[in-house]
Amino acid sequence: MTLSSDTPVRAGLDNDVALAAGGDSSAFERLYRTHVGRIHSLTRRMLGSHDADEVTQDIFVRTWQKLGQFRGESAFSTWLHRLAVNVVIERRRSFAIQRGRMSDDALALDLVTVAPARTDLTVDFEHAMEQLPPGAREIFVLHDVEGYKHREIAAMLDIATGTSKRQLHRARMLMRRFLSEGPTHAAAAPAQGARE
Amino acid sequence: MHEEWTDKLSDYLDGELSAEEHGAVAAHLRSCAACTAVLNDLKRVVARAQEAGHAVARPPQADLWAGIAARIEPARAFARTGRVAPFARRAQRRITVTLPQLAAAALVIAAVSAGVVWKIVGSLEGRREAGAASAAPSGSGQVAQDSRPVNPDGADTPARRDAAIVPVGMADAQYDAAVADLEKALKLGRGRLDASTIAIVEHNLQIIDQAIDQAREALVSDPANSYLNSHLVETRRRKLDLLRRATALTTETN
Repeated sequence: MTLSSDTPVRAGLDNDVALAAGGDSSAFERLYRTHVGRIHSLTRRMLGSHDADEVTQDIFVRTWQKLGQFRGESAFSTWLHRLAVNVVIERRRSFAIQRGRMSDDALALDLVTVAPARTDLTVDFEHAMEQLPPGAREIFVLHDVEGYKHREIAAMLDIATGTSKRQLHRARMLMRRFLSEGPTHAAAAPAQGARE
Repeated sequence: MHEEWTDKLSDYLDGELSAEEHGAVAAHLRSCAACTAVLNDLKRVVARAQEAGHAVARPPQADLWAGIAARIEPARAFARTGRVAPFARRAQRRITVTLPQLAAAALVIAAVSAGVVWKIVGSLEGRREAGAASAAPSGSGQVAQDSRPVNPDGADTPARRDAAIVPVGMADAQYDAAVADLEKALKLGRGRLDASTIAIVEHNLQIIDQAIDQAREALVSDPANSYLNSHLVETRRRKLDLLRRATALTTETN
């Protein structure tokens, strides 16, 4: 996937990448300001609001450390995005371990609730995404929001392609309930994940 | 009831089914209003997700740059602001639990780093000895050439060696000022820390200083070694980081 179509393009951006790679923190700050919205959205959607700030900072620190490895073979935004996804996945795994929870937590499907309606549908949709169980949420975000393919997601998460497809369908069905049944809750549906 | 079909609707929507399965689902949809309704709902979900992906990204409510700057370049941040940059939310929150972890991590890092430096130094000394041996007059009267770059001035005095260490990427004056300031603050605040914490901090500072000394010594022999240069910079940053954490701890325990 590429992000060039929806990533802000500014004159001198490539120059900033080169300067930042050479240790210019002012150039790196400009890169940060250009990309932070998209990276923060990614982390918020995949990990939730609570951890988004912290992980976004980790992503940019990692970016600073790895800038020397950026060869310009893809757009900087694409490279940064992929690095961000990797950091988020690492963090998700450590969170899952900390919480003693597997990423494919079928029981979580029974517990998902959606917050009361707000007038801002976009905010509601964002909030609904955050309520998805972690395994389904990250695949929903990667596939439907970010545009990755199942085979890419399977490679990133080290899971089978079929698992990615099933989790995506679960997530969509939960989101469908939110959209079609309204904002009260989406907990009534039976768990479908026992076989995973 | 319809689950055997609805379970396939996402794959159907994404074009992930075989031609045969796709045809079967399409045929079912023509006669099943319920499954068609589910499919339409799923299309809406996907469309909303794609809209979200293309929407103008919502930036974080708080500006996160200060925390990032503090972590990537503490000395420069210090020089620019005239004060030690504050840690981001996570760092502040974790100060009390990371000191013991930092102690363990520092030991491991120092051990690994020292091992690498030791190997490099050993390799350099081995090469030097080999060079010296090969430079000795041979039986045939020929002198073997040392393959190492030769200092054009031919001088190898300690002063000249020290000069070769300079390009490490962190401004020494700024760094030294930041370290001195933090050490002073830590000294003033150490009465607020318990003895075991002070022991951990001092022990780790000692380890880090040893690692810095080793890197500097190794750089004398191989000033252009990129690993050693980055190792030195990183170790100095680590020292600054530890001092900042320890100093923050003295203020937290007020």
